[in-house]
Amino acid sequence: MSEHVPLWTALLPVLILGVTGLALLLVDTIRPNARSNTTLSVVSALGALASLAVTVWFVAEGTGDVSTGGAIYLFADAIKVDTLALFFTAIFASVTALVVVAAHDYFDDHDSPAAFYSLTVFAATGMALLAVANSLAVVFVALEMVSLPSYALVAYLKKNRGSVEAGLKYFLIGALSSAIFVFGISLVYAATGSLIFSDVAAEIESLEGLAGVAGIGIAMIIGGVAFKTASVPFHFWAPEAYEGAPAPVSAFLSSASKAAGFVVAFRVFTEAFPIGASLVADVNWVLAFGVLAAVTMTVGNFAAAVQENVKRMLAYSSIGHAGYALIGLGALSGSAAGDSAVMGAAMAHLLVYGFMNTGAFLFVAMAERWGVGRTFEDYAGLARRAPIACTAMAVFMFSLAGLPPFAGFFSKYVLFMGAIDNGFVWLAAVGAINSVISLYYYSRVVKAMFLDDPESSSTLDTVDSRPTALYAAVVFAAVATLLLLPGFGPVIETAEAAASALF
Amino acid sequence: MVPPEWYLLLAAGVFCIGLFGVLTRRDALYFLMSVELMMNAANINFVAFALYYGDLTGQVFALFVIALAAAEVAIGIGIILVLYRNFGDTDVTVPTEMRW
Repeated sequence: MSEHVPLWTALLPVLILGVTGLALLLVDTIRPNARSNTTLSVVSALGALASLAVTVWFVAEGTGDVSTGGAIYLFADAIKVDTLALFFTAIFASVTALVVVAAHDYFDDHDSPAAFYSLTVFAATGMALLAVANSLAVVFVALEMVSLPSYALVAYLKKNRGSVEAGLKYFLIGALSSAIFVFGISLVYAATGSLIFSDVAAEIESLEGLAGVAGIGIAMIIGGVAFKTASVPFHFWAPEAYEGAPAPVSAFLSSASKAAGFVVAFRVFTEAFPIGASLVADVNWVLAFGVLAAVTMTVGNFAAAVQENVKRMLAYSSIGHAGYALIGLGALSGSAAGDSAVMGAAMAHLLVYGFMNTGAFLFVAMAERWGVGRTFEDYAGLARRAPIACTAMAVFMFSLAGLPPFAGFFSKYVLFMGAIDNGFVWLAAVGAINSVISLYYYSRVVKAMFLDDPESSSTLDTVDSRPTALYAAVVFAAVATLLLLPGFGPVIETAEAAASALF
Repeated sequence: MVPPEWYLLLAAGVFCIGLFGVLTRRDALYFLMSVELMMNAANINFVAFALYYGDLTGQVFALFVIALAAAEVAIGIGIILVLYRNFGDTDVTVPTEMRW
């Protein structure tokens, strides 16, 4: 960026999202009684796309990159804009755009859709803020800014018992984990006297008496991160929340909110508690995350394999994918090149996952809209009535499973190779075995849609409407999943360059 | 001046009381109060060590935590309200629509 542009413009992607959220409230205030569903959907989609466009432009220009003068610090170092932040902001903005477009049809007959759009966009603002945080204070405030709208979104269908129950469970576990998280931050502050990442790292190196306090604090922060990314042992909320929530909300939470958890994890643990310093405080978080990764993907995939409900299967599969992405933290060896390769691969996987998983949940949203059931049997023969949508769903399923011609294969392949290069063959092996298991339940969906016969010829008569916006979102997600095939080279290069700034 | 270890002990005590409440109470409102205790335990640490280090960061952050805790309670009460309307109770063990 040139010299005469003020530094705060580096925050434009965050600001655009925030202003969009306020604009949505304004639209609803001007015409409170009109159900301006279309206007709201268009405004929020435009805002998310504008934010995405600016983010991509910044990445292309090299804003905050080493080549153009390094990361941009704002507000007394509390905010740090670099390529890593922009990469994750691109994920958040794309998922938000897909979700708000799809929500146009999903909330077509809902009484007050305005709250949905503004809460979603405000949560996205919080995520983008989380990506640029350089202080534990900003991390906590932004994390709550993501969590609070999410609780309300999960319980959005106030008269639906499943939605309310899901919202309650999400809130209970979320409130508990954020209390644990903030107590962890307070212990780190007690030991180091600072909240800025680099200062914390420098102080931890020279700790003597209070090293144990900092260690407990770091362990508690691992707990808070595990909740946000839906990793074992804080994953219990995820299947409930994703199953009970309206499907667009499930898509948003399982893709964007999970990526938000990972951006915190990547930043806090590499910058504030670098592994050398953490060992002073007796916390080996590389080992902790390695074990969490293995357990999380195993639990997620085995539980997904026994589900009968497609939405719940996707919920467990999203836990499994959190396990794969955790390899990015669990397979660090201390060599800068190897570490940025494996963390970059985890970031690329989260980007690909953002499209394929959002698409899959939006397909479930479409099925809910049609009123076909929720189990695998209910999807039988669906491809005869909705061939395009079912083809898109098949793309998502095979890509999630990691079959060779799809983007999901490349990201997993690079991730596992990175783990092997760093000497974590066992992690890569566990990941590969889990991918094979996941093929079983993903292909069950495809088999039901394309090969099975519906119970009776009349069961599919509910598939009578063509929700245009939902279709557009699902098809666009499928196209993006396919385009990431030729486009995977630039993505992984950007991701590795962004990650290399952390080591 | 009170040595800082005492503040850590006090905060840990308050935190554990809150955690005990979270784990044993079945009523959602008691749950909210217990979580509030846990967050205030963190505030004790922030304020005490801001004094110890002669640094304002901790005090200011404690104010942020108080505000966020209030926002969290507002959302929580809203969810407990719809819980009561749908299930006729604020007991967190009543809603069991979904099972794994």
